[in-house]
Amino acid sequence: MVTTSLKTQVVALEAPPVWLFEPTLDNYREALFEDGVLQTLINSLIIAISTTALALVLGIPAAFALARFEFRGKKDLWFWFITNRMISPIVLALPFFLIARNLNLLDRHITLILIYLTFNLPIVIWIVTDQFRGIPIELDEAARMEGASQFTIMSKICLPLAMPGVAVSAIFSFIFSWNELMFGLVLTRTDAKTAPAMAVSFMEGYNLPYGKIMATSTLIVIPVLIFALIASKQLVRGLTMGAVK
Amino acid sequence: MADLKLTKIVKSYGDVEVLHGIDLEIESGEFVVFVGPSGCGKSTLLRTIAGLERITAGTMEIDGRVVNNIPPSERGIAMVFQTYALYPHMTVYDNMAFGMRLAKKSKQEIEDRVRNAADILQLGPYLDRLPKALSGGQRQRVAIGRAICRDPKVFLFDEPLSNLDAALRVATRIEIAKLNETMPDTTMIYVTHDQVEAMTLADRIVVLRGGYVEQVGAPMDLYHKPANLFVAQFIGSPAMNILDGSVASASSGKIAVDVESGGKATVPIAGAGAKAGDAVKLGVRPEDLRIAGKGETPIVNGTIDIVEALGEVTLLYVQVEGHEEAVLAKLPGYHQVERGTAISLTADAEQLHLFDSDGQSMARKAEAKEAA
Repeated sequence: MVTTSLKTQVVALEAPPVWLFEPTLDNYREALFEDGVLQTLINSLIIAISTTALALVLGIPAAFALARFEFRGKKDLWFWFITNRMISPIVLALPFFLIARNLNLLDRHITLILIYLTFNLPIVIWIVTDQFRGIPIELDEAARMEGASQFTIMSKICLPLAMPGVAVSAIFSFIFSWNELMFGLVLTRTDAKTAPAMAVSFMEGYNLPYGKIMATSTLIVIPVLIFALIASKQLVRGLTMGAVK
Repeated sequence: MADLKLTKIVKSYGDVEVLHGIDLEIESGEFVVFVGPSGCGKSTLLRTIAGLERITAGTMEIDGRVVNNIPPSERGIAMVFQTYALYPHMTVYDNMAFGMRLAKKSKQEIEDRVRNAADILQLGPYLDRLPKALSGGQRQRVAIGRAICRDPKVFLFDEPLSNLDAALRVATRIEIAKLNETMPDTTMIYVTHDQVEAMTLADRIVVLRGGYVEQVGAPMDLYHKPANLFVAQFIGSPAMNILDGSVASASSGKIAVDVESGGKATVPIAGAGAKAGDAVKLGVRPEDLRIAGKGETPIVNGTIDIVEALGEVTLLYVQVEGHEEAVLAKLPGYHQVERGTAISLTADAEQLHLFDSDGQSMARKAEAKEAA
């Protein structure tokens, strides 16, 4: 993918593939600045980061409540979250399109953010709840005896200890939102067009600009790599935190 | 300084009642130990005092103030958990300072109190470490230090030593005893299933079983004057031997007992309380048994099954006919005895315990004298 992105169209189509060639950045230049890939990358970034942030902000307290409090219908609620993910996204494509059109939400960031949130929130809640459950309840009790509120217990005691789970769910959420193609394609035109949707749109027409498609794909992969590296550091830090005893 | 008054404390989980109306008064500065077998409700009782569990019925007073609905942090209580419950992502210093930071104490005050607690417990060199870099004993000291920092009126310990190895357990036990001396005004309540901890630390012991208080008293009172069979067997190690028997004759101040397995004993008793033919249980502690001399009436006749020589004492497990469990005798010093030999054991009449068929202790004459 990376090598093809550095080839000219002629070289890219040669068979057998050429290994030694004069690399060119033309594909990147054209894709980024002439075809508007830069804007779609920014769109993708806005949507993926917002989705992840919202999923964490909403998901962590929900997970804490599920892990620590007893209330009626807890099990049903717990299961309901995951049922949201059981629906095949393609089934929802048309309804979402119609709803978005009627609400005048087509081609807007917020539309994709909200839709991705429905898919990501369950993952965050499931992973983080499990993580919270793994934290000994004595820590909560000790903090309670010292006068900590439930919010303090969550934010100062449990959350730092649940970082591995939070990091994993953040990676999932980000990668899902970043790579998602179908809704990106269906619900956007130009303003909120995401990078994967852009990569696909090169395939329209009679010729396939392999170099540009590969350049765009490479650009799509890079932020995921960076994000995963940052998050995995959290992961390792969390794992070495040590147990109670 | 705080005295506690528990009146008819009931705790239920759903339909299951685990504490059945506990009445207990604890004086300011006292060291009280709750002891009992697993599932007796001792930890639950402690947790209700802490406020971590709500009581179902009854009243709990600390210093005359009803605290039934008062959150744990406002009861003036600090608790040391069995699992230490240190916050793993905070240093020792932060662990101890956490509560005071929540209470918005000044930096200087926090610093002073942490240093003070660290001095008492010799934790000075470890203040910057994370809990995972400490040994079990050090972690438990941090947990105690965290409690000291709160300057509590009542100190609660929930089996603080059970995660430590034997040597550390002794060392930490002594430290807790010292701590009790350095904080004479602080009431301490300690839960354990280990009767050695109970006997050595307590001013008073509360023996619990199945959610009921069986007996409350000073360690030596429980040892010498158990109120019933359960306490008699629970306090003291090895446990008291219990022999079935029946009353041969009862006169004022004395009951003669025929032990089912053939022995005889006469127990001095205050008052009558029994008539000939009544079924009774005779209790005798292993350490009170001795080999019967010539002319003495043996209480137990049997054959030696197992000999355990520990140096300072020799433990004899004696098989007695018609008695399922072996009768245990703890003889001072070393005894050269062989398995299978017949043996007769006796004990001083004053050391015998007599229980009626309900398992309640019959008051001994010696006690009556003490009381008078």
